[in-house]
Amino acid sequence: MRRIAAFGVLALLVVGCAVALAQTRRFEGVTITVFTQPPPYIAKPVLMFAPDWERLTGAKVKLITAPWGELYPKMYSSFALGQALFDIVIAPAAWLPDFAEAGFLAPLDELIGADPYIAWGDILPVYRDRIVSWAGKIYAVPMDGDCHIFYYRKDALENPEYQARFKAKYGYDLPVPPRTWKQVRDIAEFFHGWDWDGDGIINYGVVEPRRYAGQADWCFFSRAVGYVALPDQPGGLFFDPETMVPRINSPGHVKALEDYVDIIKFGVPGMLLMDSGEVRSVFASGLAAMAIDWGDIGVISDVGEESRVRGKVGYAVLPGSTEVWDFAQGKWVTLAEPNQAGYLAFGGWVAAIDRNSRNIAAAYDFISYLSRPENSYISVTTSETGFNPYRASHFEKLAGWIGFGFVNPAAYLGAIRDTIDHPNVQVDLRIPGAARYFEALDAQLALVAAGQKTAKAALDEVAKIWEQITDELGRDKQLKAYRLSLGLPVP
Amino acid sequence: MIGKSARRQGRAFLTPTVILLLCFTIFPLLFTLALVFGEAKFDEGGLRIGLVGLRNWTRLVHDARFWNAFSVTIRIVVAAVTLEYLLGLGLALLLDRKIRGRGIFRILFLIPMMLTPIAVGYMWRMIFDVGRGPITGILQRLGLPAVGWLTETRLAIYSIIITDVWQWTPFMFLILFAGLQAIPRDYVEAAKVDGASAWQLFRRVTFPLLAPASIAAVLLRGMEGFKIVDTIYIMTGGGPGRSTESLTLFGYSIGFRAFDLAYGATIAFSLFLAVMVGAIVFVTLSRRFRYVRLE
Repeated sequence: MRRIAAFGVLALLVVGCAVALAQTRRFEGVTITVFTQPPPYIAKPVLMFAPDWERLTGAKVKLITAPWGELYPKMYSSFALGQALFDIVIAPAAWLPDFAEAGFLAPLDELIGADPYIAWGDILPVYRDRIVSWAGKIYAVPMDGDCHIFYYRKDALENPEYQARFKAKYGYDLPVPPRTWKQVRDIAEFFHGWDWDGDGIINYGVVEPRRYAGQADWCFFSRAVGYVALPDQPGGLFFDPETMVPRINSPGHVKALEDYVDIIKFGVPGMLLMDSGEVRSVFASGLAAMAIDWGDIGVISDVGEESRVRGKVGYAVLPGSTEVWDFAQGKWVTLAEPNQAGYLAFGGWVAAIDRNSRNIAAAYDFISYLSRPENSYISVTTSETGFNPYRASHFEKLAGWIGFGFVNPAAYLGAIRDTIDHPNVQVDLRIPGAARYFEALDAQLALVAAGQKTAKAALDEVAKIWEQITDELGRDKQLKAYRLSLGLPVP
Repeated sequence: MIGKSARRQGRAFLTPTVILLLCFTIFPLLFTLALVFGEAKFDEGGLRIGLVGLRNWTRLVHDARFWNAFSVTIRIVVAAVTLEYLLGLGLALLLDRKIRGRGIFRILFLIPMMLTPIAVGYMWRMIFDVGRGPITGILQRLGLPAVGWLTETRLAIYSIIITDVWQWTPFMFLILFAGLQAIPRDYVEAAKVDGASAWQLFRRVTFPLLAPASIAAVLLRGMEGFKIVDTIYIMTGGGPGRSTESLTLFGYSIGFRAFDLAYGATIAFSLFLAVMVGAIVFVTLSRRFRYVRLE
């Protein structure tokens, strides 16, 4: 009897182990392909977490990469040709409407609903509800929370001697942080061309990208948002949400573009040809007093091995303007307080699955593994991942940020959180053809920055091209998509 | 007479080449040709190409950005190839003499050509950097103002030309040096015996006999020059504004950034036509120099 009982227990143990093994290695023999840009930025978390996930599931992860400029056509053609060359694409959120509208992506609602690990409610609502959704369905999982914030050198702007000199010159207190673009201009002029940090090297006012195809277009919208985005007028940044007529050449946009060009003369030499990657390095090298960027400058400044500004950087929501273009009245209005609407530039990187993938379950499992709170916290607090916080828990636990090397993580996270939570935060353009609209703008911005065209002429040209693109893609379809992206009712 | 089996063998050897040629040359060419007269649309059914006649070409001839890119490309090719030829010829003539360390100089001159254009682009971008570049450092030490070699619209194209000349002069040198080495010494000696001066020797003997090598070098370099993209992409990205945007870079931006494949293909095809026409004109004009009569 004892022998039978022992045998029974042994059999149960063997069966239990087999079941457990089968569950843990449930994707044995499956290989999933992940497509994104080359490491380190964005691809690094895939490389960091793939080995553990492979051990747990028995599957293999194959990373395929392409340079930034080739991501969109390669993703689009892979989807459209129905080959499912990539099971997972980690792509800019702005491209999701293009892919979702064309029916290229697998809806993830059911998988997310049945996933006990992803902690969906921990993801901030703007990313969870707006960035990864299209027409009421979820098509992706956020990997990164992106918004532009404003950076400044505390040792310069908070220096009492410099503050006194600034007041004597401009007739008002040096605002820390600046709240309007006019103040930014004055501060940039004040700190331009002299050694204000005493290291024997000349310093400059600002550093921002101005290179064609160097992500300068987002910097333009970061300046425009304060001039054109009134809280009760959705869609001020891009199109009229009633007619789909471009608003890009409004007086507010023209003013923003004039500022965008005017500030170049207070920029680090060579700024005209800098992309956002170079801007980060230059700011961390200590040359400039102010900058606009995603969360990356914050990371590189405090954590970068070659940073010369560790602990000297202040963070703030984007400056704005008290003069705002009112589209309803067709005139400038003056506000008592500056309009500092946040801008979710780019919207972050999201992971989506090809509808034709033969490994949707395994692909989703890997995405979930990357995004679950404990792993994504490691991603956002590790250098060169390119991922910024997007979950509530990322903002709450400061220990990881301090361990990461941040001197003042509360201020850094506060500026990002204030931007995301701003009641008038503006979401990036999320309609089919977004990349084409942005390309048309970017090409004109380069001309204006180089002095080859006026701001008004360039934006008029952009408006003309945007109209052509809208007509080509179908005005009604685009209008519907635009209203959806703004959360407006669709007739 | 070639037997049946020999013909079969011949076919068997040729087939892989023909298949490769069809797959990698003829098919892309035909596909591009279809795009040039069509519009490409991706939808759920995959890639669809609809014919639109000459619409892309009409757009091209009315596109100011195309003509700017065309003009930039022509200016770069003409200036760079001319300078490369003159410098390459000078270096080849210098090293054609018996001088000490000739072998070392020959190797040193070839180094730039061995570097990838991307590396060359990064190197010269650093050299020309208005804030941190060594040229700025030298100018400042001399009490002169920094110059925006790459950031000033007027100057950026010259910076690109200088970079191209630095990298590709060795190519000219290599071909012309080989050409010089191939000139029979008898002609030179005979001219010297007749009392020809150094200039007369060069003008009447060396230069005419070097004509075939010169034509080949200029033709090859000119055709390559039209395709310039990598150094420009790294150094200026086509900027400031569009002051250094070449045809290839323009085509790339349209095809792969704006994702307008048909118009991008039209730009690429226009480049192909420009190179072909340029090459035919050059070869026709140079025919009169190919067979020289020594006076």
